[in-house]
Order: sequence, then structure tokens, then C-alpha cells
Amino acid sequence: MNMSKLLVIDDEEGIRRMLTLSLSSDGYEVLTAPGGEEGIELFKDESPPIVLTDIKMPGADGIEVLKRVKELDPDAEVIMITGHGDMDLAIEALKLDASDFLNKPIKDDALSVALKRAEQRIAIKQKLKSYTDDLENMVQIATEEVKRRSEFQNKLITTSNDAIIATDEKGTVVIYNQGAENIFRYPRSEIIRKVSIEYLYPPELVSQFAAGLEKGVQVELSEWREVPIVARDGEAVPTRFSGSILFAESEVVGSVGFFQDLREIKRLQEELIRSERLAATGQTVASLAHYIKNILNGLKGGTYVLNVALDRNNTDKIKDGWAMIERNVERISELVLDLLAYSKDRKPEPENCFPNEIMEEVCALMDGRAREHDIRIVRKPDPRIGEAFMDPRAIHRSLLNLVSNAIDACIFDSTTKKRWLVTVETAMEKDHMIRFQVADNGIGMDNRTKENLFSSPFSTKGERGTGLGLLVTEKVVRENGGVINVASELGKGTSFAIRLPYREAQNKANMGG
Amino acid sequence: MGKKVLNVEDDADIRTFVSTIVEETGHIPILAKDGEEGMQKVRGERPDLIILDILMPKESGIKMYHELKSDPSLKNIPVVMLSGVSKRTFLRSQVALTEFGDETVPEPEAYLEKPVEPEDLSEILNKILS
Repeated sequence: MNMSKLLVIDDEEGIRRMLTLSLSSDGYEVLTAPGGEEGIELFKDESPPIVLTDIKMPGADGIEVLKRVKELDPDAEVIMITGHGDMDLAIEALKLDASDFLNKPIKDDALSVALKRAEQRIAIKQKLKSYTDDLENMVQIATEEVKRRSEFQNKLITTSNDAIIATDEKGTVVIYNQGAENIFRYPRSEIIRKVSIEYLYPPELVSQFAAGLEKGVQVELSEWREVPIVARDGEAVPTRFSGSILFAESEVVGSVGFFQDLREIKRLQEELIRSERLAATGQTVASLAHYIKNILNGLKGGTYVLNVALDRNNTDKIKDGWAMIERNVERISELVLDLLAYSKDRKPEPENCFPNEIMEEVCALMDGRAREHDIRIVRKPDPRIGEAFMDPRAIHRSLLNLVSNAIDACIFDSTTKKRWLVTVETAMEKDHMIRFQVADNGIGMDNRTKENLFSSPFSTKGERGTGLGLLVTEKVVRENGGVINVASELGKGTSFAIRLPYREAQNKANMGG
Repeated sequence: MGKKVLNVEDDADIRTFVSTIVEETGHIPILAKDGEEGMQKVRGERPDLIILDILMPKESGIKMYHELKSDPSLKNIPVVMLSGVSKRTFLRSQVALTEFGDETVPEPEAYLEKPVEPEDLSEILNKILS
């Protein structure tokens, strides 16, 4: 807007000329019109910010000019030039928002004061307008920002894979997103503002949330935990949950709960376990097949030797061939026993027995094989152990496996020239336990072997082992309420200890036959 | 007149089996249960052929074979390998030994994988010893 533009409307040419002269010299650009109509037309074209108009004119008078100018531009300042006795008109002009009055004859100082005031009013109005505009802008920006943020948060909530469920302070559900629909299966229309959390949450969460909402205290739910929820169709869905009571200035306003669907993760975990089990089974089957094939070859070899011996009538050879067959029959029956023991849950069958005698039996069984490889089996029975009420088959099976392993550990110790010893020991311990210890000074185990000891069928003996021995031993010991421990050092040897509980030998009369 | 056949083998059953085949083929079996005892018997008995297992406690067949074939006085004794280990693996193990500066040794006269049929072993004995 050009501040220095002025429109002067007066029917007297002398006044127009006088004002033009005086105002031009003050730096204004002065437009003049000889009557109301012409003045209004000129105002439309030039939009001067300030208009000076005579109040009494033929045709459209000053009041008319004032009205029309204010219609065209409410911010324009209109100064009325009044003559003597125009009071009534002046009051009317005031009502119509005229800026000021100048009495004729116009004095220069009065004119400049009036103009100054008009300019001030324009400046104030402009400032006000720019303030208002600014304010409106700012409000709009703020509103948009709020809207944007709320949309963003909404989007976050709606597109989250996790279920997000929020309630008001009474526990009524107000937010229930797509993720929640996916997990809980209830459609949103049935839930939002219609039900409270009891409808969705498992009871323990409900009671915690209810307490939090009621007492206005935070609940200990922020740590992620696994919570199974029941979906609409009855499926138990495993979820990871975290929740919180919501406060606004210490006033409870509601609650929020986050649920992550764990079904996929669980499924993958189970798949992994299954495939691991399958691989382990495959490995077991393969090593078993190999082991059985070896036994079959032994049997075939025995049959060959026996046939040759029979043809030649060679008694010594008959014994050799027969021994081969017997040994392999023994191997296969041991294998079957191991397999049965491993695959079936077996209840202990305790009876009166002498643990030291069982130990001696096992050692005697293994003596031959040990001697063949220059290994000595040393027995150390605890003489305090007498007759006890225990499962003799469990003791036998476990000890046989351990002593056989101990002998193998010595056989495979090919690097050193030592005097190999397998020490088998029994010891009475407190709390009605008997310890059976089998120690060797053979090859020892590395950490990998130690880790796999009881976990899966695993053999370091190549074709000679099934990998079942220790699994069976561990299982039998466990079934009998005992524990098994191992200590081993590579190159130094290995020691297994089995601790089995026992009861006093029972009086035969009390055993009820 | 039968020839001396040394079987170096840790499994007693297989020793019985092999010695029976050796006898049936018309030769004289000598037995050793590991590489260490095997080398003693080689030096003491001067066998005409050696049937050698690979996986044995104390001295393995891998080492014993290498020792035999590196000794000028013994390297002409024919060796038949009889093992659960495949021929490829055995030959590789012999190459591996040369990486430590040992001499390259020739391949064995025959290689049999366990289990062996009596006729197959018999046939090879006849072929080499005749």
C-alpha cells in the first residue's frame, strides 16, 4: 500500500488547490476529485489509504462518500472537512467510523495532526492485522502439527504388528488395533467401547490392571513377559506382553497393553527341535545299522570258521567258531537291551541284593577283554556295604556300560606306554546313597565329547560304538533316583561316579511273597 | 609248501576268521594284535605276505604300512590291506605322511574293504603267493 497517496474530494476548486499545494509539499501524492461520485470512482482505481472529503457537496455528499469508501475498504481512513454548523452531519460521520474532522478554514497544523493520527491508525490496524494473520498462521501450523502427530501415532497403532489395546480409566477398551484383531480374533466392532479388559485379558492380568486403575498406582507390568491368551476361537496363543497404567498429571486416565504374537517364533523353535531330533534319529539309525552290520559280519565269519572246522573235524576250530558266534550273539543281545532300556520308561524293580557282588560280576565279565589289551581291572568294594534293597539290573547295566567304556578308553590310548588301570569302587555315602565309581587312566575326553556325553547318541568309537551306552546309563540312573557325574582330562583319564539311593534289605516275611 | 601269512588285526574274531581262510588256502597263519606286535613278528618271522588292518590301538596300520615300505629289507613283502577304512582315505593318509619329509611309498599289493568274503581273500592270496 502506498502510504503517501491522498485523495481530496471537494466541490470548491480553491480548497482543492490549496490542499494539493500544502500536502504535495509535505511529500504526499495528492489525487483530487470535484464531487462525491468522481471521488468514489477515483478511490476504486487508486485505493488511497487516506481520503479527505468535504462533508457538504452537491450530489453524493461526504457522508455518502464515507459510507461507500468504508464499504470498499474498511481500513481506509476518511477525514471529514466540515464547515460551521455541520455538527449533526459530523456526529453521523463519527458513527460511520470517520477518522477525524477538519474545520474550515483548514489550518496547516490541524491538518498535519489529523493526517498523522490517520496514519497511526492505519499502522496500528496493519500491525494488528499482521498479528492476527500470524496468530492464525501459527494456530494453523500448530493444528496441522498436532494432526500430523496424531495421524502418525494412529498409523503407528493401526499398522503395528503387535496388538495394542488401550482402555479408559474404567477399563473399557478404547483402542484395539489390527494386531489385536489378529491375535484375539474378535472384530473391532465387537470390542471398542463395548467391552472391558476382562473380556480379552487372562485373569491374572485383569486383576493387576483392575488394581492399578482402581488405586491409581502403576502396576509391575512393564517388563516383557510371556502370557498365553485365549483367542475368540479358543486357541491358546502364546504372546509376549508388556503393559502400563496411563496417567495424566497423576490422575489415572487408562491403561495400555502390548501383545506380541509368539506363534511363529514358537513354531520355528519347534521346527528346529524337530529337525534336530530327526537328524539325531537319522544319525542314531545310521550308526546302529553300521553296528548291526558289524555283528552280522562277525556271525557270518563265525559260521564260516565253524563250517570249515566241521568239514575238517577240527575240535579246536569248532570252539573258535562257536566262540565267535557266541560273542556276536552277546553283542546283539546287549544292543537290544540297551535299545529297550533307552526307548522305554522302565520302573525300577528293587529287590534284596548285594551291590558289591554285582560289581564283582561286572568286573569278572570284563576281565577277559581287559587282559587281552594289557589292562588291569582293580576292585575296591566298600566292606560296609552288605545286602541292600535296590534294583540289581540297573546297577549291572550301568556298571557294565561304564567299565566297558573305561576299557575302550585305555585301548584307544595308543600314544603312551603306561600301565592301564580301570578302578571300580563302591562306597557307602550319607543319606542312604551308594557311590559306584569307575575310573580309568586312558585317553580322556575333550570338551566337545564331554558336552555331548548325555545329550544325544554320540560315539567316538566309530563302528565299535552305538552311542547308546551312556544315554542308557544316565536314563537308568535317573529312573532309579540317582545321579551320574563325570570328570575327565584329555590324555589323563576319565572317572564316572554313579550315586544310587538304597534302602535296608527287607525282611522276606514283610515282602508279601 | 605253505607260505607264512601274517595277519595284523586287533579284533580277535577277525583274526580267527582270517587265519582260517589262510589255512584253507594252504598257508601258515601268524597273528599279531596291533602294529607294534606286528613289526616284531615281521622281523622275527619274515612272513611272505602281510594282511594288515588300519584302525588298531597302539601302532596303527597307517604307520606300520609306512614303516614296512620305507625299510629296504622289508619293502618287498607284499601287503594286503583289510580294513573298514576306504582305500581313498588310506592312500591320502600315506600322502599326508610324506608331507613330514618321509619318502613316498608305493600302493599296497591289494586293498580289501571289510567285510571280506572268504573266496575273495583266498583268491588274492593265491594270486600273490603262487
